[in-house]
Amino acid sequence: MPTLKMILNGQEVFVDVEAGDLLADVLRDRLGLIGTKISCGEGECGACTVLVDGKAVDSCLYPALKVQGREVVTIEGLGEDNRLDPIQQAFVDKTAPQCGYCIPGMVISAKALLDENPHPTRQEIEEGISGNLCRCTGYYQIIEAIELAAERLAEKGGPK
Amino acid sequence: MSNRVVGQSVPKIDAATKVRGQRKFPQDFNMKGQLYAKVVWSEYPHARVLKIDVSPAEALPGVVAILTSKDVPVNEYGINIVDQPVLVGEGEKVRWLGDRIAIVIGESEKIAQEARQLVRVEYEPLPVVSDPREAMKPGAPLIHEERGDSNILKHIKIRKGDIEKGFAEADVVIESYYVTPHVEHAYMQPEAGVGYIDEKGRVTVIAAAQWSHDDLHQISHMLDLPLDQVREIVPAIGGAFGGREDMYIQHLLALCAYCVRRPVKMVFDREESIRNTGKRHPYYMKYRTGATKEGKLTAVEIELISDAGGYASTSIPVLNNAASFAAGPYVVPHAKVDAYTVYTNNAVTMAMRGFGSTQPAFAYEMQMNKLAEALGVDPVELRMKNLLEDGSIALTGNPMPKGVGIKETLRQAALGAGWREEADHWIKPDLGTPSAPYRRRGIGVACGYKNVGYSFGFDDKTRVIVELALDESGEIARALVKLGASDQGMGAHTALAQIAAEALGIDYEKVRVALVDTSVVPDAGSCSASRHVYMSGNAVIRACQEAVRKRQEALRTGERRVSAEYEYHGRSVRPTTPYDDENGMCDPHISYGYTSQIALVEVDVETGQTEVLKLLAAQDVGKAINPEMVKGQAGGGVHMGLGYALTEKFIQKEGLVKTRRFSEYHIPTVADMPREFIPFIVEVPDPTGPFGAKGVGEMTTLPTAPAIISAIHDAVGIWIDNLPATAEKVWWKMKEKAGMA
Repeated sequence: MPTLKMILNGQEVFVDVEAGDLLADVLRDRLGLIGTKISCGEGECGACTVLVDGKAVDSCLYPALKVQGREVVTIEGLGEDNRLDPIQQAFVDKTAPQCGYCIPGMVISAKALLDENPHPTRQEIEEGISGNLCRCTGYYQIIEAIELAAERLAEKGGPK
Repeated sequence: MSNRVVGQSVPKIDAATKVRGQRKFPQDFNMKGQLYAKVVWSEYPHARVLKIDVSPAEALPGVVAILTSKDVPVNEYGINIVDQPVLVGEGEKVRWLGDRIAIVIGESEKIAQEARQLVRVEYEPLPVVSDPREAMKPGAPLIHEERGDSNILKHIKIRKGDIEKGFAEADVVIESYYVTPHVEHAYMQPEAGVGYIDEKGRVTVIAAAQWSHDDLHQISHMLDLPLDQVREIVPAIGGAFGGREDMYIQHLLALCAYCVRRPVKMVFDREESIRNTGKRHPYYMKYRTGATKEGKLTAVEIELISDAGGYASTSIPVLNNAASFAAGPYVVPHAKVDAYTVYTNNAVTMAMRGFGSTQPAFAYEMQMNKLAEALGVDPVELRMKNLLEDGSIALTGNPMPKGVGIKETLRQAALGAGWREEADHWIKPDLGTPSAPYRRRGIGVACGYKNVGYSFGFDDKTRVIVELALDESGEIARALVKLGASDQGMGAHTALAQIAAEALGIDYEKVRVALVDTSVVPDAGSCSASRHVYMSGNAVIRACQEAVRKRQEALRTGERRVSAEYEYHGRSVRPTTPYDDENGMCDPHISYGYTSQIALVEVDVETGQTEVLKLLAAQDVGKAINPEMVKGQAGGGVHMGLGYALTEKFIQKEGLVKTRRFSEYHIPTVADMPREFIPFIVEVPDPTGPFGAKGVGEMTTLPTAPAIISAIHDAVGIWIDNLPATAEKVWWKMKEKAGMA
């Protein structure tokens, strides 16, 4: 069984995986990171979105071995123990989560967007989360949350 | 009176853990030594099972058990009518694709998955009945032979006034036939959970559910165990929208745990979730509406036929609702309604946001817009002449209770959209220039109303326990609200915590709402019928008042813990009554919520594609306990309404499923939503509601589809009477109108 080495949420992690194992399953079942959700299992909904070297990917389709030696960020990698990441805080402040099942994926997609484009237009925000389905909210408060996060991050001098 | 907590958009009680990904949903639970289960689903929509051979599957190493009908102590269940087998045995019938033949339990998910493909089932296919209009004819193949000689589950008759007189008084009569499709709930969290035997020997299920205490009754019946030997725990629910009111996995998990006495985990994949769970009912609706040339409604004649699918589920209560709302929120002196729900071999149909109020809302609002056009009256003005007010006599002969806010919702939406009110006339705004020469603009109006709480004589009740922890000085340090109210995401627990904080006079942060665990919390009824703010809110206030009284005693005795309990009954404000068998007259509902929406669209005449530029949504919620949550409900309701209008259709052919995943069943993405969304919160208090509150969850979806479809008509002159108005359908209809098809 090959050993996968990755930098997961800033920590070096080693885990034995099989060739066909998918990143989402390894994160959830082997590493206990349940914040990454599986909804469609085929890359149509974005609930399983994580960052690989800063890019948002659907971890339910992503072969685990493809992250060999690379950096992976999941929802658990955002914020600190007693402080939310500014994007997470904006989601709370804008009442964005309803059921919350899509929310980790939404937050990660928002992070990928804001890391690359700190001052997105509304259209760019929509494009940034167009691969993330939500059945509860109509997306409006999620968009508002990302706008608010961008504003707050700009005040602080950009995302990190 | 000003409120400190109620009316404030406090952060949702579970928001921080949700944005961190820490809130556990059913699939996030794992137990030591757990096994994995997979279901062997029916391959036919209607067939007799001749033989089930589990031996090749049993031979696979790692397979622990294969459960068939023989393993189910009492092999039947059903939320309203007990007509569903848990597992279908040899010699018995499957009646839709979601019927189950066996459950395979293995040491790993992979083993269970592999083993289920090795179970061999022989079927004798039977004639498939896929259209309720055919199914209701005498001589149609029977779906449930054991239930009499017809597939018709229920026929409701409403006879109000004198229908012939009503049409004789009409100057204009509009006749149309409307069809709405099966709709998938499409909650993001597929069915999942764990079943196990707890430390007290109880068969326990962790799963998403809308009414855990009702599940408990059904599981106890199935396993032939006393109620105190079964238990259900409801962690975070990943959406429900009615789809978790029936059991689709809870009883299976219970059965697995009961049979193998070890923890068993089961997770449906998306295709299983879409293929094998209930849907919104398709309705076939024949409408005839008459009005005077002054725009006063005189009569409606309505036939509703609903497709119940293979099992009853809540098709009858859904039909009850549909019939009672069939004429819309209008005063109609003469009416005749015949409503039927009929078994077929299609997907089981069940509760879904609106519970029977959504389908007729499409029909009655299309009728109003067609009438407005025929009479040459503005669609807002026509409605204003006919909308219900306090004390108006509804379709079922009952006076409307105080707090009818429908006119105010329409007024706010119309003014927001640019309508002008001059003397008694309403004048439509100029819509501006389309964004491209090949696009046409149009605007559409629709209203809707729906009940809050359980209806037609059902004793709707909710039980709450409030526990206070007092500090040294006797002040309330913490309050715990215990009730079996599921929070499927809309924020019921947040709203109830706000109500408790207000009633106790303490900070919101000091209130917790207990996890729904039937061994700890009392039965608060279903999380449906937009009822928890109203019903459970009323119970919470009264339990808190009792707790405050008890605290006074505690202050004397030095006791530091206080507990109070209250059971609130809807009949204490309005004893509802069932339909009269002959004329349908009754007082159907406890309370109501009202809504109006206006849609501005552009239709691309070359492709038939509709884009919704702006949607104004006004909801009368009585009192917004948390305004941002109300807006969230409006956004979500519009999302579903827009899918209903333009893209969503669960397609079956002869009972087989053609739309199995999100790439085939299209729920709106962010790019599909109205460019601009303007919610209005209207607060016409219901004097019987907590702080005047009504309900909001379902009403927000009712007017979206008719508003959009009427806007398409305004833009390009075609009426789409069967949903959804896909680009293809709109394009063909435009061709037809131009005489080119």
